[in-house]
Amino acid sequence: MDCPTCEAMVDAYIDGELTAVESADFERALEGCPECRKRLESARALSGLLRELPAEPAPDLLRARVERELRTIASRPRERLRRRMQWSAMAASVVVALGLGWLGGTLTGQGSRESDALVASYLRVAMAEHTVDVASSDRHTVKPWYAGRLDYAPPVHDLTTDGFPLLGGRLDMVDGRKVAVLVYRRNQHKLALSLWPASSAGNSAPRVSERDGFSIAEWRHGGFEFRAVSDVAPGEMTSFATALDRAVDADR
Amino acid sequence: MSAMSEASKPDLATVERFRAVMLPHLDAAHGFARWLTRDPVQAQDVAQEAMLRALRYFHAFRGEEARPWLLRIVRNTWTDMRMKRGADQPLEAAENHPAEGPDPEQSALAGDRRRQVAAALAALPQEMREILVLREIEDLPYKQIAAVLDMPIGTVMSRLARARERLAIELRGRLGRREHGLPDL
Repeated sequence: MDCPTCEAMVDAYIDGELTAVESADFERALEGCPECRKRLESARALSGLLRELPAEPAPDLLRARVERELRTIASRPRERLRRRMQWSAMAASVVVALGLGWLGGTLTGQGSRESDALVASYLRVAMAEHTVDVASSDRHTVKPWYAGRLDYAPPVHDLTTDGFPLLGGRLDMVDGRKVAVLVYRRNQHKLALSLWPASSAGNSAPRVSERDGFSIAEWRHGGFEFRAVSDVAPGEMTSFATALDRAVDADR
Repeated sequence: MSAMSEASKPDLATVERFRAVMLPHLDAAHGFARWLTRDPVQAQDVAQEAMLRALRYFHAFRGEEARPWLLRIVRNTWTDMRMKRGADQPLEAAENHPAEGPDPEQSALAGDRRRQVAAALAALPQEMREILVLREIEDLPYKQIAAVLDMPIGTVMSRLARARERLAIELRGRLGRREHGLPDL
């Protein structure tokens, strides 16, 4: 084998694309060709550098979104089309946003990162992968469960009389912080309420927005920040917030 | 990206088969999208849209290797999204965007070297970047790379060789070549 031939085989050799016979020929040729040996070492080094790059697995939010699509498609063929439209609309809005000025990783601000985390948290609840850590409608069971698991005592209220029975509670991470998540039910829908101590004083009225087809309510009441996520209608989200505020006030 | 037609609406059994066959490759789909887009937000959008397209066309899947089949759809999805974006923003500008690959800092074992390698790879033009990712990160054989990129195997080989050469040059500027044994081209 002459050098140009063996040189041309270096890549195929390290890529495992040569037959056993070709590999043996190549290895024999290498013995007499220091240049090609050097070339092979370099190619291996380069390959090694690329292969030690850490893999970045699919984020939980992406997995949850895909899972949700599959479930929707599998369970409700009509509904699916509506969802598809929403996703298409979202994709289109992303495209528009890109057109307006591509800011790369800064496309999402702090607020939407929190929303992403909240939606992901809600999806973990709604998809029953991990519904609750403590299942009870009894606040005297749920509230003590958080002792020793969180650095604050979350207010826990069953809102059955308002049409939102308490299913239980769990812990989740929102923006790197461990928070209490209370899970409520509204008819066939689940609602995840994340709450943590407010850093500023005063109450604020619930602000209900929609993201990815979910309703998200944000408000501050009785010294706590509340974030509720669900696939109920925005109006029902407001009822929930009102009912919760009333319960918090009655407790004081 | 139109809604599925009635005819191709997947039934429950199809969805279940899709879940078993394709869903295990979501990490690969996202990883490839991450390197194509060089943007974490877009990577998720591309990967998700690609999964939905894959389901829509799953009836055309004939039991070949699932991962390259899905990766090809990821690439097509990204191409389409770029074209749509192209109406608002010239491709050139997008290509000159500060290149961001997956951030190796997120790994506990992160080092300056990995960051440099990731940056060098991200800085390559797409046709070089994608073939290196498919070969070295996805570990696909030439035949499957040819299927993903829709080109003859001979083209895969020549393009891969060029991409390696170019990456080595990029890296020599960033890393000490003696330490890492990179070619002195």
